[in-house]
Amino acid sequence: MTDIVKPSPSPSEVGFVLGRRSVLKGAVALGGAVALGGTLAACGDDDESSEAGSGGEAASGTLRVGSNYSDAKPNEALKAVLDAFPNEDVTIELNEVDHNTYQEQIVAYMQDPPDDVAPWFAAYRLVPLASAGLLMDISDVWTNSLDDILSEGFKQASTYDGKQYLVPWTFYSWGIHYRKSVWDSIGATPPETYEDLLALCAELQGQGVTPFAFGNDGRWPAMGTFDQLNFRLNGYQYHVDLMAGNESWTDDRTKEVFARWAELLPYHQENPNGREWQDAAQALIDGEAAMMTIGNFVGDIFPNEDLDDLDFFPFPVLNDEHGTDTVEAPIDGWVVVAEPENEAAAKEVVAHLGTADAQNTFLSIAPGVQAPAEGVDTSAYNALQAKSADLVQNAANVTQFLDRDTLPAFANEAGQAFADFMSDPFNIDAILEDLQSKAEALL
Amino acid sequence: MTDVAEPTTSAAEVVKSGNGRPAPRKKPVRPARIGLHLFLIVLGVLWLVPLVVSLYVSFRPFSETQAKGFLSMPDSFNLDNYDSALDQGDFIDKYWNTALILVPSLILTLFLASMIAFVASRYSWRFNVFFLVLFTAGNLLPPQIMVAPLFQAFRRIPLPDFMSNSGNLNGSNWAIILLHVGFQMGFCTFVLSNYMKLLPKELNEAAVVDGASLWTVYSKVVMPLTRPALAALATLEFAWIYNDFFWAVIFEQRGDDRPITSALANLGGQFVTDTNVVAAASIFVIIPVMIVYFALQKHFIAGLTLGSTKG
Repeated sequence: MTDIVKPSPSPSEVGFVLGRRSVLKGAVALGGAVALGGTLAACGDDDESSEAGSGGEAASGTLRVGSNYSDAKPNEALKAVLDAFPNEDVTIELNEVDHNTYQEQIVAYMQDPPDDVAPWFAAYRLVPLASAGLLMDISDVWTNSLDDILSEGFKQASTYDGKQYLVPWTFYSWGIHYRKSVWDSIGATPPETYEDLLALCAELQGQGVTPFAFGNDGRWPAMGTFDQLNFRLNGYQYHVDLMAGNESWTDDRTKEVFARWAELLPYHQENPNGREWQDAAQALIDGEAAMMTIGNFVGDIFPNEDLDDLDFFPFPVLNDEHGTDTVEAPIDGWVVVAEPENEAAAKEVVAHLGTADAQNTFLSIAPGVQAPAEGVDTSAYNALQAKSADLVQNAANVTQFLDRDTLPAFANEAGQAFADFMSDPFNIDAILEDLQSKAEALL
Repeated sequence: MTDVAEPTTSAAEVVKSGNGRPAPRKKPVRPARIGLHLFLIVLGVLWLVPLVVSLYVSFRPFSETQAKGFLSMPDSFNLDNYDSALDQGDFIDKYWNTALILVPSLILTLFLASMIAFVASRYSWRFNVFFLVLFTAGNLLPPQIMVAPLFQAFRRIPLPDFMSNSGNLNGSNWAIILLHVGFQMGFCTFVLSNYMKLLPKELNEAAVVDGASLWTVYSKVVMPLTRPALAALATLEFAWIYNDFFWAVIFEQRGDDRPITSALANLGGQFVTDTNVVAAASIFVIIPVMIVYFALQKHFIAGLTLGSTKG
């Protein structure tokens, strides 16, 4: 489908560090890593981009914006944001497509883009598109307006080969979610170490409560559990290296992750591969299961009156060396296609989307996520949002998610391997050997 | 589906149905026959389960079925899901998009296939067999393997603005019509040529003796006689083209231009999918197929075995 050249990414490029004060381990990141793709990216139209910075002359005309916000609330929220776009000379046409199809077809979409501005993911997922020259360098938008309102970590997550290609828009985080009232009634408190977690699980099971709700239909929810176990046990750097193909799936450290997972599996709902995550979440809502390793979006399925009862805690410590220094927090954002029809308007709109103003409007209607811009009204956050935002800001390392931190083709293989592990945990050595051979072929 | 095998088909009916086979003797009802019918009834019911469950679920709110299970007794039973489906799915526009693709595809496919079938079956010339093999073999090729080259080719073929709002073939209805015509023609040609072979050759000769041109023989003699085959094919092709999601989402990048099948996908969110609204939407989506099926039921069943007896 694509003639994209796959760059061999350096580990630091895959992940990045977020948070105001932290120094970027991966700051050098994209510099050398992407020499391969850089040659391709050079055929973009950098020369034109200087004319129409967001600080330049006001734009006008029609601008086509793509949207994969197919959920009802985010969809409504995005429309509200675009309706409120201050420059009335620009008419915005929204092209709505469904989330999953959009993601699967991104390469086709970008090669002959029907829109000028489009939604996409931060960090590693930018690499194949940016290196093939399918995205416009919007460094000038950053220089003109975003540098002041976004922290260095977010900038790094938007950067490829020293240039910015993305405007960060929202993020959320992963952790273990639970119902406070249910835990109060059984007298449980969030465990801080792995041993505490195991003890709690045994106790819960004794009381007839399933410790973990779990549904792995679609093959992605298990990736969340894997990520947590791996970076807690082996640390951020090892996780990043593994995702980049620089560490082995047959390594003892990787096997240790699955050994721990196998210990936890009996405490999960059985036969997860055929259950949708939203059905698993229902067990959490009903109090049949005590907790669930999932993203904050689980709140979207909670009845409104129960939302205050939903809380989460970071996955417990497995290795004191790493503590809970890593948070998984996927960032979504906006890109401009390589050759937009209305470049001035495209840049003005993405610059606007990067502002606290726009993000506040979005969050007021779709409160399932958090927003990155400085000045976002955090006082309007519910407890869950506030906790998540705080965790992310104070984390030493932030990962995106397995299917965003490595090549999509390999993520599919990993998803299948995890599913196979669920149905036959004793076969893990063969599964990992197979996965390693896929990693060698793809990464 | 349960009524496929009528137990007491009378000899007269069999003769009337015109399959030419001798009428079977009337047999006494045997236990095996009862068993067969029980089996068929069970299968028939199983066949209906998904439809009935979707229908049932579509009248109940998502929160309720999530909490109590899909097959629980309803607390509330209303049309809210249909409301939301209409609201979010934009069905009227999507039906129209589908029609814009379906109608030209259907007409072009049948028209072109019938012309090839006419020549290949009614005249003997050197490449008869070659062409039939070509079209039949085309059926065996999975269309998916052609996606990448087609996509690259289509986006390099410019079209004027009034034909495509992307400026090239990719992103326009024409691309999808072309693909449907291309991929469906093999099957249609195969079926129609087999059917036309059954028509007596003498009709052609008589027409030619009377001074009819090739076109007249095709349009005035052969086509009217082929009408049953065309009707059956039209029913089948309607269902196939209507159900297409694959080509439509690849070659239509604008959500507004996509056909009805994409409206269903649109109802799926990033994380949460309201299955009950999707159920309601599915009911909307199958209505046209149901109408066509019931209206042309006889042809549809004929279509399943069309061309199977003569190769």
